[in-house]
Amino acid sequence: MASSVSEKPIVHVVDDDDSLRKAVTRLLRAAGYDVRAYASAGEFALASRENNKRGCVLLDVRMPGPSGLDLQEALAREEEPLPVIFLTAHGDVPTTVRAMKAGAVDFLTKPIKREMLLSAVRTALARDLRLHTSHEQRRDLRMRFTKLTQRERNVFELVVAGRLNKQIAAELGMAERTVKAHRAQVMAKMQATSLAELVHLADKMQYGIV
Amino acid sequence: MPHEATDSFWQSRRLEKAIFTPVVEAGAIRAAVLVFAGYYLGARVGFALTFQPHPISVFWPPNSILLAALLLTSPRIWWFLLLAAFPAHLIAELQSQVPPTMVVCWFISNCSEAVIGAGLTRYLLTGPVRFDNLRSVAAFCLCAGFLGPFLSSFIDAGFVALNGWGQGSYVENWRARFFSNVLSSLTLAPAILTWFNFRPTQWKRISSGHALEGSVLFLGLVIASTVVLYNARTNPDPVLFYAPLPFLLWAVFRFGARATSAAILIITFLAIWSSAHGHGPFTSQSAEINARSIQMFLIVMTVPIMLLAAGIQERRKAEERFAEAFRSSPDPMSIIRRRDGILIDVNDHWVNTFGCERKDAIGRSLLDLNLCLSKGGHVRQMIDRRQSEPIRDLDCELRTSAGEVRHVSLSADVVEMGNEPCLVVIIRDITDRKRAEEMTRDLAHASRLATVGELSASIAHEINQPLGAILSNADAAELLLESESPPLEEVRKILGDIRNDDLRASDIIRHIRLLTRKQVMQMEPLDVNEISGDVVRLMEPEARRRNVSLRTKFTAAPGTILGDRVHLQQVLMNLILNGMEAMTDTPESERNLLVRTATNGQRTVEISVTDSGRGIPPEKLPRLFESFYTTKENGMGLGLAIVRSIIDSHRGQIFAENNSDIGATLRFDLPVSDEVTSS
Repeated sequence: MASSVSEKPIVHVVDDDDSLRKAVTRLLRAAGYDVRAYASAGEFALASRENNKRGCVLLDVRMPGPSGLDLQEALAREEEPLPVIFLTAHGDVPTTVRAMKAGAVDFLTKPIKREMLLSAVRTALARDLRLHTSHEQRRDLRMRFTKLTQRERNVFELVVAGRLNKQIAAELGMAERTVKAHRAQVMAKMQATSLAELVHLADKMQYGIV
Repeated sequence: MPHEATDSFWQSRRLEKAIFTPVVEAGAIRAAVLVFAGYYLGARVGFALTFQPHPISVFWPPNSILLAALLLTSPRIWWFLLLAAFPAHLIAELQSQVPPTMVVCWFISNCSEAVIGAGLTRYLLTGPVRFDNLRSVAAFCLCAGFLGPFLSSFIDAGFVALNGWGQGSYVENWRARFFSNVLSSLTLAPAILTWFNFRPTQWKRISSGHALEGSVLFLGLVIASTVVLYNARTNPDPVLFYAPLPFLLWAVFRFGARATSAAILIITFLAIWSSAHGHGPFTSQSAEINARSIQMFLIVMTVPIMLLAAGIQERRKAEERFAEAFRSSPDPMSIIRRRDGILIDVNDHWVNTFGCERKDAIGRSLLDLNLCLSKGGHVRQMIDRRQSEPIRDLDCELRTSAGEVRHVSLSADVVEMGNEPCLVVIIRDITDRKRAEEMTRDLAHASRLATVGELSASIAHEINQPLGAILSNADAAELLLESESPPLEEVRKILGDIRNDDLRASDIIRHIRLLTRKQVMQMEPLDVNEISGDVVRLMEPEARRRNVSLRTKFTAAPGTILGDRVHLQQVLMNLILNGMEAMTDTPESERNLLVRTATNGQRTVEISVTDSGRGIPPEKLPRLFESFYTTKENGMGLGLAIVRSIIDSHRGQIFAENNSDIGATLRFDLPVSDEVTSS
C-alpha cells in the first residue's frame, strides 16, 4: 500500500488546440503537477500508462476524431477509471448534463480562471487517490481472504453474519473448540484485531468501494 | 400556306397570272401618258424659245422631261416611256418641216441623252435623286446635267451632219446642242423632280406667314428678273445681273430645294423669253452668241445655287434630327454652355423630371435653379476644368425643384455648338433601380447576419480557444515569476504565445465584422481558391460541431474573377450550411461535404458544394432559388434567393442537382475577368 502512494499523480491534458494545450500544460506544471499532453483522444488512448495509473484527465469536448465524451465513456469501462475534468470552449447544456451524468468531476469552460482549474484538478486527484486507495485495500483484503482455508472461510462468513461460536459449531458440525481455533486463524490471516473490524473488512471486500 | 391538294390549283393560277398580267401596269400607263403630253408640250415650248433661224433651241425641254420621267420610274418601264415619247416627238417635229429621217435621228439622240443621264445617276445613287442632299445633287449635276448632254451631243451633231441638215459645222452643232441641253437638264429636270411629288394637301401645312413670305419672294423675284432681263438696256451695268441673286438665296435659306428650283426656272424662262423677243441684255450679238451668253449665265448661276440649297437642307435636316432626338428622348436631356454652365436647352423629360419649366430653365444655371448635384460634381468639374472627355454612366444624385432627391446615371459629351463648347447631358433616372438594389443589399445583409448567427456557437468556440490560451499562459507566467529563480526564457516564450493568440482572436473577430458589415458591392479581382479557403476555415469549427467531414479540392490554376469578397463568401457560407443541414439525419460517419473549385476552359470558374445528405426532392428543384421557397421546416426561404441574386449581379449562374448516389450538389460559375487576365 505504501509503495503505490509514492507514485506521483499525472494530469493528462487532451486538447486539439495546440496553443491552448501548451498554455494549460505550462500552468499545471508551474503549479507543480506532472503533466502529459495529447492532441487527440486517439493519441491518449494509444499512450502507455502502465507505469503510472494515477492522476486525472483534463479533456476537451470537441475534437477531430473521437470526442471528449467518447473518451470519457471508454475510460469509465476501465478497471481503475481516471477522473475526468472537461474543459471546453463552448459548452451547451445537453453536453454538460451528459458529461456530469457520466461522472465527470467538473465541466469547465475556456477561458478558465487559474483557481477554478487548479481546484478542479485537486478535487479530481483527491478522488483518484480515494479510489485508488480503496481499490488497493480491496485487492489487499482479497489477497488475505485467499489465504483462508475452506473451513476458515465458512467460519468467517458465519462470524461476520453474527453467529455465536456454539451456533457455528452446530451448523458446521464441529466442536466449539475447533470453531474457536478457526476463528483465531481467520482473525490473524485477515489482520483484524476485533470482531467489529473483521465485519468492516468483510463489508469492504464484498461491496468493493468506500 | 397552300395545302398539298391545292398545289396544282395554285400553280395553274400562277401560270394564268403570268399569261394575263398586262405587260405594263396601270401606273406605267399613267406615266406614259404624262410623258407623251409633257414631251409634246416641252417641244412646243422649245420651238417657241428657238432663236430663229438657228435650228437648235436655246432651251430644249423635252429631253429634260424625259430625263425626269426616267429618274422617277423604274428602269423596267423605261422602254415603255421612250415608246410613249416617240409619237409626241413625231407630232411636234413633223410640224416644223424637218425631214422625217432627221426627226427620227433626233429622237434617238434625245433618248440617248435621257438614258445616259438617268442611268448614270441611278448607278451612282442607291435611292432616288434628292435635292436636299449634297451628294445626290452633285451626282445629278455630273451625270444628268453634264455627261448625258455631253455624250449625246456627239450623236446628235453626227446625225445632223449625216442628214446634211442645217448650216453649222459639226463642232458648232455639237456646242449649240450641248449648252442648250445642259441648261434644260439643270433647270427643268430638278423642278419637275422636286415638284412631282407635291400634293395639294401640302399647301395646308404651310403657315399663313410662310405663304405670305413666299408670295413676296415670288413677286420680288419676278420684278427683279423682269427689270434686269427684260427692261435693261443692251449693255447694262454688270451689277444688275446680281439682282435676282438675293431672291434666289432667300428661296434657298427659307424655302428649300423645291422653291429654289422653281425660282431658277422662272429666271431661266424670263431670260430666254426676253432675249427671244428682242428685250434685255442678251440681244446685242448674233443669235448664236446671245444664246450662248444666256446659257452660260444661267448654268453658272444654277449649279452653285442648287448645291447650296442641298447643303443647307442637309444641315437643317441633321439639326432637325438632333432636335427631334433631343426633344423626344425618353431620358431627360439638357445642353449646357461650358463657359458659364448656363442651360441652353432642355427637353420635355427634363422638365417632367425636375418639375422646372423650360422657359424658366433656359438661360440659367443648375446652381441658380437649385438643382445642384448633391453627390458627384463631375459636371461642375467639366465646366470648371475645361475637361473634354465624355462622362459615361456616372452615378450621382440630383435634387428636383420640389426638393426630392433622385438617383441618376449621368452621361455627358462636349460638343461644339455655334463655336461654343457645350455639354450635352443625358441623365437616366435610376431611383427605382437604386431602391431595389438597396433592398437586395439589406436582405443580403440580414441573411448574412442570420448565417453568422447560426454560426455563433462555432464562433464563440473559435474565439474562446485563443482567449483560454492567453489566460492560462498569463497565469502560468505569474506562477513562474513567483518562484525563487524565475525561468525568464520560458516567460518570454509565454509572452510571445500570448501575442500570437491575441492576434488570432482579433483576426477571427475582424473576419466576422467584415461579414456582418453592411456595405455596397465592391468588385475587385479575387482568387476563388482564396475565397473558398477563407470560408472553409471559418466553417470548419461548425463542421466539427456537426460532425461533418469538410474537405476541399481546389483547382491548381483558378482564373481571377471580378467580384465582391464578402458577398461571395456569403454565398459559399450559405451553400455549405445548407449542405450541412441536409445531413442532419445522416449517420455521423457518413456526413461528407466537399467544396471544390474548377475551371471551365478559359471562360468561367466553378465553385461547387457537394453533400451526402438527403438530397433535394425533384419537384422542388426548379423553384429552389425563388424567394420564400424553402425545403427546410423552419427556413424563411430567402437564403438561396439571395445567393442567386448575388450570383446574378456577378454575371454568374447557379445550379442545383441531386448526385447520382447520395446527396446534392450546388454549384455556381463566375466569368473569368478578361481585364485581369489580359493585364
